[in-house]
Amino acid sequence: MSDGGRENRREHEKSSGHRKSGVDNFARAIAKIAVAQVCETEGFQAFQQSALETFSDVAVRYIRDVGKTALLYTNLAGRTEVNVFDVIQGLEDLSMGLGFVGASDIDHCLVQSGVVRELLQYVGDSEELPFAYALPQLPIFRDRKQTPSFLQAGVEPPHEHIPSWLPPFPDIQDHVQLPMQENGAKDPQLVEVEHAKDDIKPEQQSSLSVQPLHSAGGLAGPPLVAERNAANLKEAAVTNPYLAAPLYFGEKEVSPAVLPTKLSSEAAVGDHVGQKQVMDGKISALEAFVPGIESIKSGLNDSDEGQMKVFPSQRPPVQFKIRIGKRSFNANPNSSFEHEDCFWWYRFCVTQIQMFMKNLMMHWGF
Amino acid sequence: MNNHHGQSQQSSESKHDDDAALTDFLASLMEYTPTVPDELVEHYLGKSGFQCPDVRLTRLVAVATQKFVADIASDALQHCKARQASVVKDKRDKQQKDKRLILTMDDLSKALREYGVNVKHQEYFADSPSAGLDTASRDE
Repeated sequence: MSDGGRENRREHEKSSGHRKSGVDNFARAIAKIAVAQVCETEGFQAFQQSALETFSDVAVRYIRDVGKTALLYTNLAGRTEVNVFDVIQGLEDLSMGLGFVGASDIDHCLVQSGVVRELLQYVGDSEELPFAYALPQLPIFRDRKQTPSFLQAGVEPPHEHIPSWLPPFPDIQDHVQLPMQENGAKDPQLVEVEHAKDDIKPEQQSSLSVQPLHSAGGLAGPPLVAERNAANLKEAAVTNPYLAAPLYFGEKEVSPAVLPTKLSSEAAVGDHVGQKQVMDGKISALEAFVPGIESIKSGLNDSDEGQMKVFPSQRPPVQFKIRIGKRSFNANPNSSFEHEDCFWWYRFCVTQIQMFMKNLMMHWGF
Repeated sequence: MNNHHGQSQQSSESKHDDDAALTDFLASLMEYTPTVPDELVEHYLGKSGFQCPDVRLTRLVAVATQKFVADIASDALQHCKARQASVVKDKRDKQQKDKRLILTMDDLSKALREYGVNVKHQEYFADSPSAGLDTASRDE
């Protein structure tokens, strides 16, 4: 009899090509082969793919059910290790549907069970057909190369709070991408750093990774890394302005903010009120907490009784009136508000808020 | 009392016989290699919590599974042969073509139904809702 069914199926499996991961898929494939072998012994010559899959699934479920039921009887008897009698009882349970000789007997000895007799008969009658392939021990685990811990690597963790059973920090090269130059040659700075990196002690490496990318001060240890990172950033800045390093104070020449002349005069108070009202979010705050300023004209003094009167050094000589209840919208769209004015005003408001908060905290003793 | 003693002796002897039969069976299992491999059975038994270091029990379960599969296969084979016989009755020309016995979903579901496993299989999947309808309604 030709081996038609199995050959066809195996060819089909090879042609399908897709590899599924997981131990269960491997076990299922083995079950399919075993079931196919048994069917072939019975007389089938070919299989439908779906039929074979269903059949092997049913067989697997059968095995699991036998195990479950046998375990149930074992636990019922107060044991953890399964006995042959538990297995026989499990088999009896599962063949209750079809029935076996002696199923209706209660109190029969398990050794005489019909199931066992049928099995004996089957073993005696059927030919022995071993499984087609040699199998390794299931389940199969892929050997994962685990990163050794600090202890295993023989390295001392850099800081006290890091326990030694944790793995060491990864190499900096792994997570900082080196930009390749167009001509293909690496930056000589980078090449230097890579060579020098081998000399750097592993204790320093972790601290290197923690350093900010552009340390303006520059420590003794990580200037190389900072240099390289700066080189990276310069490269990146050429390509993408958003990735450029932020500027620190004093790094770039910025024109100083010039106070507009009209702000210093009283006549500009009206404008200021208008400006105040334009910036909605700031009005109530300013009105609520403006401390006693020496140049307040109106009789209303909203400063709280217990608060200190702090005069910040940055306070510009502005005079403005506090008007409660009067909110005349006096927007001047045509006024010559320049960008600098708004910026200055915003900064002023922010400073005021900060001073108020500080006062508040000092008053309440935070 | 004597009778009872005789009876108990008899039963104990039969028990011994049965025990002997079982132990012999388990011993013979070690010689008989079931088609279902041991590793597979151990893997799935382990999944359901079955803990046993004894190989003979695993072999027992393996043989039981093999018998189960063989029974279902033989039932499906009978269904298949019955179908082929009925088909051959209609057209004698196709007698030579249908000699191959193929395990189909149909036969398998019929065989499994007797074992309490309900396997219902879709006959076909339609490409669109109007597939297979009358031409009159399709034209609309």
